[in-house]
Amino acid sequence: MLVERAKNLLMTKMSRSWDPGLALRRRDALKFLAACLADFWLPRRAFAQRAPRSRKPERRVIVVTFGGGVRYEDTLAPGGWINIPHLATEIVPQGLVYPVARYDGITGHFNSTGALVTGCRQEVDAYGSEAPVTPTIFELFRKEHALPPEEAWVIATNKSFGLMGGSKIRAFGDPYSANVVLPKQLLIETIKSAVSTETGPGVEDRQALAERMMLALDEGYEGFGWKVFESGRTLGAELKKSLAKSLLDYFNDPTVPTSGDELTFFMTKEIMNRLAPSLLVVNFWDIDIAHYGAYSLYLEAIRRTDRLVHELWLHAQASPQYKDRTTLLVVPELGRDGDVVGNGFANHRSGDESCRRVWLVAIGAGVPKGAGTERPIKTTDVAPTVARILGFKMPECEGKPLAELAF
Amino acid sequence: MQFDARLTGDAATLARAHEEVLGRLPATVRAFVLVELQKWPALFAPEQRYQRALLGHLSRLPGPELQLAVAGVARVENEAGVSKLGGGDPGRFQDDAQALLRTRRLLPAWRKEIDGFFQQIDPALNAELYPADAPRRLVVQVYGRGIAVQADKLWSRFKGTGVRVPLTLEGTAGSDAFLRGLFGGRESGATSPALLAAARESAGLGPLDTWIIESHEALHELCDGAAGRAPAEPLTGLSYDRLRQYRDDLTKALYAKIQSGVESPQAFAAYARSLKIAPGPGALLHAADVLRAFVREVLLTGNGTLFVNNTFVEWAAVQALRRAQPRILVTRFGVRDKLKPFSSLLLFSQPRASDQIPLLEDPVGSFIDAEQLSYYVWLNAEKSPAYRTRTLYLFLAEGIDEMLAIRSDVPAATASVLPAASLGDVCATMAQWLAVPARESWGRPIASLVL
Repeated sequence: MLVERAKNLLMTKMSRSWDPGLALRRRDALKFLAACLADFWLPRRAFAQRAPRSRKPERRVIVVTFGGGVRYEDTLAPGGWINIPHLATEIVPQGLVYPVARYDGITGHFNSTGALVTGCRQEVDAYGSEAPVTPTIFELFRKEHALPPEEAWVIATNKSFGLMGGSKIRAFGDPYSANVVLPKQLLIETIKSAVSTETGPGVEDRQALAERMMLALDEGYEGFGWKVFESGRTLGAELKKSLAKSLLDYFNDPTVPTSGDELTFFMTKEIMNRLAPSLLVVNFWDIDIAHYGAYSLYLEAIRRTDRLVHELWLHAQASPQYKDRTTLLVVPELGRDGDVVGNGFANHRSGDESCRRVWLVAIGAGVPKGAGTERPIKTTDVAPTVARILGFKMPECEGKPLAELAF
Repeated sequence: MQFDARLTGDAATLARAHEEVLGRLPATVRAFVLVELQKWPALFAPEQRYQRALLGHLSRLPGPELQLAVAGVARVENEAGVSKLGGGDPGRFQDDAQALLRTRRLLPAWRKEIDGFFQQIDPALNAELYPADAPRRLVVQVYGRGIAVQADKLWSRFKGTGVRVPLTLEGTAGSDAFLRGLFGGRESGATSPALLAAARESAGLGPLDTWIIESHEALHELCDGAAGRAPAEPLTGLSYDRLRQYRDDLTKALYAKIQSGVESPQAFAAYARSLKIAPGPGALLHAADVLRAFVREVLLTGNGTLFVNNTFVEWAAVQALRRAQPRILVTRFGVRDKLKPFSSLLLFSQPRASDQIPLLEDPVGSFIDAEQLSYYVWLNAEKSPAYRTRTLYLFLAEGIDEMLAIRSDVPAATASVLPAASLGDVCATMAQWLAVPARESWGRPIASLVL
């Protein structure tokens, strides 16, 4: 049976390949097959030692951030509904809305999302050169349930989130971290290298660009926005190829819209389809275009994020692995400056109320339908809420589980 | 703590004159003052006046009063152990002190105390710098032709503020005719529109007292000499389009740095500050050193100012209001280009011609942007004591037969319907507001705005 599964898997991979040159090479295929056969023939005791006490929970959690930060007045306030039509008319009526949420920490991207995934305010390097200083939900989840890395993912448009998957705590860190994928960064770096010199292939020559992308992945993919951990013998390499192929499919399809968040959305679906992880944190970040001072582009990005959140929810509902067992939490990582007291939508540095006032919307398993509560919450409540849903212990942190949800 | 500020000229004289009080200030406040004095040649006259007023005021404060005023800052500094930092260059000390305060989690407390310190002294400084009889000021904001103005949403941010004035626009089709009508045309041999020239002559305004800041060139074309783009001196002009070569040069330098490797965002910012690139001849109407430094700072430190024309207009205007405090400011927003797909990380790159995607304009988005950005210009002007209660703000859109006027001393909207005015009437209104002798050909002032 295992041999059949391995054969099927290989056939599927081969048949989906867009380019024979990029398909699994025969030698790799044989290696993979051999590994599966070895699993089959190994004594059961040895097999049991290699895959001990792994307990994948029934429930799934997807946390989606309106990364970059949005102002309440541009989104959940009545005047802002026009910018979040899907949330306002499709998600909120089917879920639970907390219109009064607050983020109290340093008003930068890494620290604010760091607070979401740890339940504690973080005060580390704003540009992502330091990992969080308290354990992340990914580490706690994987460690307690003895789960492999493919069970927890961070897919981020923000290029500085490479270290978001795990903390710098000695007892945690890489062995328990989430996989982190920064799809936009990978694509951009490759395009940049292709167009920046006269010797590069340029963006017109897609085939040459694709080859360059594979080369980039082979040469040092972590530097290009991947931090995918090995699990067992072959997953890292297989996963890399699989996701790189997805990325190339995306880039080669002239009909797909080209924004970082569209790519993040695409990659999230691929990961859900291929691995069905229990825990995903998806960072949409096109909204941070606000820093260029064009209000219309900021609003456009909010509308795109709103649409992608809805599409992601529909995708989850259409997937047997996620349908009826998934809780989706949608929350801005932070706000942006107010007009009068702060420095306006383009910034999030004043620390004024507009910079800190956000909201949270929950939908799916365990969430009462069509409800809302004015109870003020904090974005640090997200981590302990995820812990309660997925059934792992959360060490003492600043947040508290959202009591309105059924665990 | 001893600082080595290496001041020269007027700044050194000022520091020597107030050496005693400087020595009694907490280190972070003293470093702030010295850093400002180090920038002396790049400060505008109002900024220099502020530093003189600040030191003069602090010197006049009785000892115990000064001690009380800075007690909070001194307490936080002590708690953080700021005194353990070496003195030396005040700029470097500032960076070290900020890092220390951040590490000790005292930055918010320090900011609060600094705010408190300035809140105590600002009323006295403002009374000295901006007396009640200070001259009136004028801020005009124009939406250029091509922006997809939605009349029902025009100036919607100003609901309840100011008065809408119907306009008659006969004979003002096209940007040039509209702007000439608005600013009184240009007399033979003049190098600026008649209204601005008259304001300069009657009020003795220098080039830094009148600013035009625009995304394109229509306002600049009103000021060009007979030989085309020969730079004219009478006023300050910043055009995003005319700065194209300068922007490209800065962009290339920054991209080269990125390609060669950047240690940190701070290192990248330091590299940007070290660049010795200047706008070429003719890029600026008035090319004083202080202005070159200003433009460079606007392009290197303003979010998006290198890449988005209207962002440049807004940020440059806000900085001009804050720093140079011109008597007259005219902004003109235009249509911006659409951003290219995946461009956010490629902005500094210089793609080959074969890789370049054609530029597409975004007139609808430009309207949304201009609405927000013109609002920010007004908000920032009103935050400044130089403009508050003494400024007439006019908002116009080329080809639109309505104007929004806000007097900062009477900001509430009036319900009365005003008779239609011509652009000449608007010009005469501006002249009367500024106490500039009006030309007969301009029209009649709109009484309700100037009385």
